[in-house]
Amino acid sequence: MKRRDFVGAMMVGGLATRGLRVPRRSVAADAADYILIPMDDAQAEHLKAYGVTFRLLERQGRGEWLLNYRNGSFLLPADAGTERDAALSGVTTLSISASEADRIRAEIAGTNADAVPLEKAPKVAVYVPPGTVPWDDAVTMALNYAGIKFEKVWDAEVIGDKLSTYDWLHLHHEDFTGQYSKFYLTYAGAPWLREMVELNTQMARRLGFPNVPATKKAVAEKIRAFVDRGGFLFAMCTATETLDLALAAHDVDIAASYADNTPMDPGASARLDWAHALAFTGGQIEASPTVPQFSDIDGHQVNSLGRRQPLGSYTLFEYSAKIDPVNTMLTQSHRQVIPDFYGLTTSFMKNRIKPGVTILADEPGAPWAKYIHGELGQGTWTFYGGHDPEDPQHAIGDPPTDLSLHPHSPGYRLILNNVLFPAAKKKELKT
Amino acid sequence: MRYVVRGTWCVVVLGTWCVCAPVRLCAQQPSPLQRAFDLERRGSYPLAADAYRVVLRTDPADQSALLGLERSLSAVDRVAEMAPEVRAGLVAHPSPALYGLALRVWAAAGQVDSMRATAEQWAAGESDKIVPYRDWGDLLLQRRDLAGARRAYTLGRAASGKPEALSAELAQVAQLSGDFSGSAREWLLAQKVSPGYRGAAVSALVQTPERQREEVLKILAPESGGDGTFLAAVLLAQWGDPLRGAEALRRAVAAATDGRAGLALVAGFVEQVRALGTRDARRALGQSLELLADRQAAGPGARTRLEAARAFADGGDPASARRMLALIAADRTASGDLAVQAVRTLLEVQIAGGELEDAESTLTSRGDLLSIDDRGLLRRRLALAWMRKGELGRADRLAAVDSSVDGAALMGRLALLRGDLKGAKLLFQQAGPYAGTRAEATARTALLALIQPIEADSLPALGAALLALEQGDTVAAVAGLDRAALGLPPKSGGAQIGLLAAELEWARGGVVDAERRFKVVAATTVPATAPAAELGLARLLVSLHRGPEAIAQLEHLILTYPRSALVPEARHLLDEVRGAVPAT
Repeated sequence: MKRRDFVGAMMVGGLATRGLRVPRRSVAADAADYILIPMDDAQAEHLKAYGVTFRLLERQGRGEWLLNYRNGSFLLPADAGTERDAALSGVTTLSISASEADRIRAEIAGTNADAVPLEKAPKVAVYVPPGTVPWDDAVTMALNYAGIKFEKVWDAEVIGDKLSTYDWLHLHHEDFTGQYSKFYLTYAGAPWLREMVELNTQMARRLGFPNVPATKKAVAEKIRAFVDRGGFLFAMCTATETLDLALAAHDVDIAASYADNTPMDPGASARLDWAHALAFTGGQIEASPTVPQFSDIDGHQVNSLGRRQPLGSYTLFEYSAKIDPVNTMLTQSHRQVIPDFYGLTTSFMKNRIKPGVTILADEPGAPWAKYIHGELGQGTWTFYGGHDPEDPQHAIGDPPTDLSLHPHSPGYRLILNNVLFPAAKKKELKT
Repeated sequence: MRYVVRGTWCVVVLGTWCVCAPVRLCAQQPSPLQRAFDLERRGSYPLAADAYRVVLRTDPADQSALLGLERSLSAVDRVAEMAPEVRAGLVAHPSPALYGLALRVWAAAGQVDSMRATAEQWAAGESDKIVPYRDWGDLLLQRRDLAGARRAYTLGRAASGKPEALSAELAQVAQLSGDFSGSAREWLLAQKVSPGYRGAAVSALVQTPERQREEVLKILAPESGGDGTFLAAVLLAQWGDPLRGAEALRRAVAAATDGRAGLALVAGFVEQVRALGTRDARRALGQSLELLADRQAAGPGARTRLEAARAFADGGDPASARRMLALIAADRTASGDLAVQAVRTLLEVQIAGGELEDAESTLTSRGDLLSIDDRGLLRRRLALAWMRKGELGRADRLAAVDSSVDGAALMGRLALLRGDLKGAKLLFQQAGPYAGTRAEATARTALLALIQPIEADSLPALGAALLALEQGDTVAAVAGLDRAALGLPPKSGGAQIGLLAAELEWARGGVVDAERRFKVVAATTVPATAPAAELGLARLLVSLHRGPEAIAQLEHLILTYPRSALVPEARHLLDEVRGAVPAT
């Protein structure tokens, strides 16, 4: 399933088709034809609701995502497996009859909502170095908490073209400029940094690259090709900004001398090839090796004392489900305004975002966006700034976030919207 | 050194501004240095570097321009590029600031040989030879060139003619090389230079790997009473042998000729050992406080002895605690407040040591010195101690005079241990939820939940089982609970008692029997008790790394008792077992 197929068909197919049909039975049986998983404030476990839906798809079941209906509810067939799964997960469900489902559909037809068929569980990969604990990556935490299966990949798998076997790829706080998040000088001697350097250096050697920045550039190129061929990419935190920097710097040295034994090209900013990047353009590289920031793309500059901006709240844009189904899917939430959270890259300056990129959420009045989406070739990418939506001031060594304490987290919901997005299937053409 | 130079630089900038001021007024043209400074302040580092170079074309030794160039280039990781300017500056007018800058630039350029030559050239013109070699070594250390740094410091020591010169630096190099014995030798020398190095030495040497510790102690010679004794004493305390540390310190202090120095050593040790929480550490604290008290004036000395008594009591050494308290009692200069605290501490020591007769006698004879609250608290502690000895009558007599809610809670426990369920329920209800600490209130609620389903007013077998539990005899408690449950229907307390027996059995390590007991209670389907048994069983299975069975058990609990108050806890445990949330 490629993104272009999906969107094109959505436009042509319109509202008439329904992905999910349950045969009518007797009146008595009619009482429990469907399970409605409401996603408004009636829901007790917003995050696990995505897992229940995902696992139904894994069992070859089909469902519908009711975009803009009760904040993005799910309509699933009433089978014992789903009921059991929901009960174990603590997910609030409503048993409804086929006639009630028809009434909901009629309501959807008359409003700014739509029902998107969900047909196939996407194959999910998370790019993460080996040995990393799952508690330092918001997406891994969200996937684990919702019970969505995923596989881990790293440089060797990416360079070895394994990405083509996945539908969806997530990147978190990897530094694709190969400068170890620019913590090399600040945290010199820290065991975790030594480990990180050793691991990356060994991998670069194993893959035949002269240094870590060169490896990461090659990895970035492979990821770009994955998207171009129809993959779904979701990146957070540093991975957003540094992926684009690595792509734009394919022929430019943007790494400090500690990373590749040569100083950064003094004219690096002017020589970047932004046409090759996914989301950004015109960024100016942070030249100092001691400032753990990469460029002026990030609006908040959390680790730069003089430039650090305070946290506010970001607002999700509202879209018409019938006209903009993709953007609507990515912004389904029970909260429109969400408290912001820092990351090494927290936000994206609007004057550095390429024309044609969709801004899904921003901070009103501020010059930055939080959540953006775009296309490349046959695929799509989504960038979400910040590190952990429920740990706004996240610092190295912080205790892990326990998502059972945040089952309604709207910030985490956005991540899971992205996971389910590739499961949405094109609608059939109306003939 | 850098700060001095920066100060000079500021003066130069200010001077430049003053000289240029009239010109500025006429032409509004900033000086080249001012222009470079403005560019640097705006963050335009490459342009600022160019502007500083313009200044240097006129005066190659202009320190302000050279340092500005260094700042601008380091912001863009290009310091090595200023080597030509530094060479020109050194030729024009060598100075300590320029030599220091040259070392930094050669370090950035990786020119190790030039660094040595510059340091030696610099030292040749200085009366204090240490600074050039220290700067050189520090820069190599920053580059993790340990061998180079050691060579630089050693040459510096030789050049200075002082055998203890640069010892702290060499200690650091030795430690980074994994040579903790060498580090200890250097830290000993550093202490001769300044006692201020003690803290740094402790912080560094405490990281000594276990296999090197004895060797380090041999070098520090804890028994010798020399400079290393304090270090050794603190290290011994930090490494888990505080009593040996305290003994080493005692010998060192006894051997010390300078009383004030001895006092400082003991005070330092007390601070270090106070933060440790083990029983041995408390006793070591008591011993060192006693040493300290012996060297203090009468007033402060009595207070220190009181603290020593508490530390001895906490460390399980009641004899020493009593010795301290006796000294306070004999001290005519001790204040009334101190005497009150001494009585309180004595009672605590006596109760903790099981000397209940003596404690009761102390309470009777000197209890009126205490405040009402303190007296009530200590009386209840004494009653509890009698209760744990099985002397319920003596405990009753002490508790009976206490009309507080805490007293009602204690009376309730005593009633329960006699098997008087009706009386216990009444007294627990009177005590309410606020008596005692939160943990005590929770334990009381659990006891109330245990006895509430039991219809009988009296069940002596249960009281006997709970008394055995109070006395720490879990085996007897479990057997007693089995006897108490005989004939009780599951819904009328049998299941609840069975659940407690299962939990106790697990706590004492009888996992096989505990699993069987949990399963029996879970099968009763008694509301509240059966899901609690299922949760207990799941926890037991998790502890035995039988994850899949635990998951099945938890799923059964959630699906069978969806309205149970334990379901959220069960879901969280399920998430933990599945790895969905971090383990708590």
